[in-house]
Amino acid sequence: MAAMALAAARLLLVRGSGSWRRSRLRSGAPAHRCFSSGGAYPGTPLSSPFPGVPQPVFATAGGQEKFETKVTTLDNGLRVASQNKFGQFCTVGILINSGSRYEAKYLSGIAHFLEKLAFSSTDRFDSKDEILLTLEEHGGICDCQTSRDTTMYAVSADSKGLDTVVGLLADVVLHPRLTDEEIEMARMAVQFELEDLNMRPDPEPLLTEMIHEAAYRENTVGLHRFCPTENIAKMDREVLHSYLRNYYTPDRMVLAGVGVEHEHLVECARKYLLGTQPAWGCEKAVDVDRSVAQYTGGVVKLERDMSNVSLGPAPFPELTHIMIGLESCSFLEDDFIPFAVLNMMMGGGGSFSAGGPGKGMFTRLYLHVLNRHHWMYNATSYHHSYEDTGLLCVHASADPRQVREMVEIITKEFILMAGTVDVVELERAKTQLMSMLMMNLESRPVIFEDVGRQVLATRSRKLPHELCALIRSVKPEDIRRVASQMLRRKPAVAALGDLSNLPAYEHIQAALASGDGRLPRTYRLFR
Amino acid sequence: MAAAAARWVLLPGARRRLWGFTERLLVGGAARRSLYFGGNRWRNTQAATQVVLNVPETRVTRLDNGLRVASEDSGLSTCTVGLWIDAGSRYENEKNNGTAHFLEHMAFKGTKKRSQLDLELEIENMGAHLNAYTSREQTVYYAKAFSKDLPRAVEILADIIQNSTLGEAEIERERGVILREMQEVETNLQEVVFDYLHATAYQNTALGRTILGPTENIKSINRKDLVDYITTHYKGPRIVLAAAGGVSHDELLELAKFHFGDSLSTHKGEIPALPPCKFTGSEIRVRDDKMPLAHLAIAVEAVGWAHPDTICLMVANTLIGNWDRSFGGGMNLSSKLAQLTCHGNLCHSFQSFNTSYTDTGLWGIYMVCEPATIADMLHVVQKEWMRLCTSVTESEVARAKNLLKTNMLLQLDGSTPICEDIGRQMLCYNRRIPIPELEARIDAVNAEIIQEVCTKYIYDKSPALAAVASIQGSMQDTGTHENTPELTLPPSSTQSVSPRQQPVLPPKYWLVSFTLFYSHPL
Repeated sequence: MAAMALAAARLLLVRGSGSWRRSRLRSGAPAHRCFSSGGAYPGTPLSSPFPGVPQPVFATAGGQEKFETKVTTLDNGLRVASQNKFGQFCTVGILINSGSRYEAKYLSGIAHFLEKLAFSSTDRFDSKDEILLTLEEHGGICDCQTSRDTTMYAVSADSKGLDTVVGLLADVVLHPRLTDEEIEMARMAVQFELEDLNMRPDPEPLLTEMIHEAAYRENTVGLHRFCPTENIAKMDREVLHSYLRNYYTPDRMVLAGVGVEHEHLVECARKYLLGTQPAWGCEKAVDVDRSVAQYTGGVVKLERDMSNVSLGPAPFPELTHIMIGLESCSFLEDDFIPFAVLNMMMGGGGSFSAGGPGKGMFTRLYLHVLNRHHWMYNATSYHHSYEDTGLLCVHASADPRQVREMVEIITKEFILMAGTVDVVELERAKTQLMSMLMMNLESRPVIFEDVGRQVLATRSRKLPHELCALIRSVKPEDIRRVASQMLRRKPAVAALGDLSNLPAYEHIQAALASGDGRLPRTYRLFR
Repeated sequence: MAAAAARWVLLPGARRRLWGFTERLLVGGAARRSLYFGGNRWRNTQAATQVVLNVPETRVTRLDNGLRVASEDSGLSTCTVGLWIDAGSRYENEKNNGTAHFLEHMAFKGTKKRSQLDLELEIENMGAHLNAYTSREQTVYYAKAFSKDLPRAVEILADIIQNSTLGEAEIERERGVILREMQEVETNLQEVVFDYLHATAYQNTALGRTILGPTENIKSINRKDLVDYITTHYKGPRIVLAAAGGVSHDELLELAKFHFGDSLSTHKGEIPALPPCKFTGSEIRVRDDKMPLAHLAIAVEAVGWAHPDTICLMVANTLIGNWDRSFGGGMNLSSKLAQLTCHGNLCHSFQSFNTSYTDTGLWGIYMVCEPATIADMLHVVQKEWMRLCTSVTESEVARAKNLLKTNMLLQLDGSTPICEDIGRQMLCYNRRIPIPELEARIDAVNAEIIQEVCTKYIYDKSPALAAVASIQGSMQDTGTHENTPELTLPPSSTQSVSPRQQPVLPPKYWLVSFTLFYSHPL
């Protein structure tokens, strides 16, 4: 109460004097005294130095970043990979070969659930809150992300807290309690995420899910990334444990760190990740799915009324979305780089998108498609790549009445990929790919992801300058070669919205097998 | 063995942010200037007289014409360089509102040296990015490029802000683009709500207007308006050339002298005064029966950038926190409000914000709820706000302080966020606050100070509220004077408190703003 009365008095004073600057000065107490006395809050504006703070001594970067990466394999098969980096924070995490592609013999959605259950209570920590509190002591935050083939548990924190962080990660990954209450919370979170997926105006995640389903019919990366609604109620600890036993094994894991000393990281790994018995026991993994992705091609359609997707008072035009994809290659093959350049060359985006020059204004999907056909709303190229397959696809959207025309524009673009490649456009795409690579690698969590994923897949890391050399060496004939090879496959098609004008799958297939990408002429009596 | 998982850095769009939830800790409408400071961790505030950091120094040099050059070299092979200009929509009036933003658009439409096509090709071919944004108080033009291209990037920036052609044909074409952008902004409900919040909180003042300006202005702004704006505001003392990543300060300084040294004059006479912007507790409700969810923001008047209480309000803001349904019960358990809303299923998401301007600010919360839960949600929000004023505990505050430091420091990752931080701090504080100082300022906050400062700004204040929602459910119920949010104490503790202040506005306006229902905005 006393404090309150005081506050009220001060409030009047400040209001009365009109300017906070003057009133502050008049109240008089030297700012640094406020440290010890408590109560009164220092009154120095942020534009002036705060009294009593020591002089900082800064560091210098010492030349350009080298990205040197070290890898050590522990006795149990777990790999430890790291890169040091300027700065006082580190990002450390465990990456696991686990994700929806391994769920063929399980209830679909396990990996999605595990993502939501990450950083919940463990043997040593009674609750998620305790975990967060421990991290906060080291200025840390945590996150877990699952993709189709990889699950990442990661922490960013002060490098001084490395030991605590690795111990915590080991506990979170190997000793989760998975209590009934936590599983119930995860059910709710999964349910909400599914609702949001269907509600959000940007259909890209949904289309990506659909095109994977079409391209890899009922196998590996074609399996659902998100938990199907009907499975939400069926998840329990037993199901999760039987999956974890097979997939959360040391030989399928990498402990990766950025901004740490390698020897120190290895030491922590030995301490916390060696000779520990996980929560699901020590029985040998018996049922590990090693199947290779089978590209099938095909179509997945979702007929939906998109006439009112706007969440607010501003109207949003009704659109039909299509995605057409073809099998590219795995990121382990040499052709991965030409495909990445091709994807950059196609580029594209929204017909109206923020951002100035540099967003890919001279990519083909802008020059050939969006700049010529103003009725199209979007045309964007995507490249998904996995250890045994890849998918290059183009997303396009327009008014439902123009779907047939839109499909034909996109199939023509696919055919042109195998045609002449202009040297200037190729050089531009290569430069942009290199700059994107280097700009992404400015960020510590991205470096972490790069180190971890590469070592998980190949046991070593191709460094940025090596990748740049490979990009530089791509020639026009490489692009034509990979594009023609891609066009021999059956297409994968995903379509969402009002689909009354969607050409038949066979016609899209015929267009992509033709010399010019045109859809076969259809003569309909009644239109 | 080719490129392996480098796909993650080679595939555009494939990358989700690993730390998505740390973004926009503090958010502010279309102005969207999050308030983050720079730095690194350091704990021992009082003992040492020197502290060794593992971050590079921000070097600052002032040219004769007043232009400030500030940079930080972290040895990357890429960099961000940009111009931060102390000019935004706040310097406009009713007639020319939208000019600053229009000008930002025209910057990429060609100069005396380069046509629009030349400029676009040059940037795209060097793998660079050129971008710009306008907020209510600042205009920013920046480029990202390979470090070896820094000289070209600076030359291009100098060219576009000093030699833009501002051709009549381009101006005509750009009107259409801006009107289209306006449509786009209107589909983003958070931006819509924040524009309404400013419109009501700063009614009849420059901060109440939007950045884009009204349609009629966009249709009428002409070449003279643009030229006038440049000649009035784009002056040496009001501009900062900031850079981060792989940049040498000496090289940057030489480039600055060469490209700006002789051209950016100082002001003849007085620098235009900042128009005063008075806060008014009031509300705007926009009714749309087709909307499934209600989007609303409520805020009290806070303080300007440099005000000593800013740090304390940021800690309070962190205490309220952010939450989203997909977090489940976790990820933000440090926020009591997150726990309450999660258990009561009261909203889809909320985000606490602290938007600062030079001499005022908005401290509040943005929420997305089912219409039926608005009243309950507002109730728990008010309860939490009142708890800040009366009974927030030392351990909660300690945790929020830690979180605030973590979020601010982790945000500074990569050349663009760092450059952005340098540029903004130079404009707001005329210096870059060293990390130890920032930490010392946060460390100085405790529960008692939070209670005192929050009481000063929240208790018994008339808030500004903006809501876009269907009228079904509780919007209608709260449509009367009695049920609108009032920030008062729980009855048990009201004895020692002065009677509720009257709203500062003339009563007539007050009532009008309370009963305002638009069926459609704009």
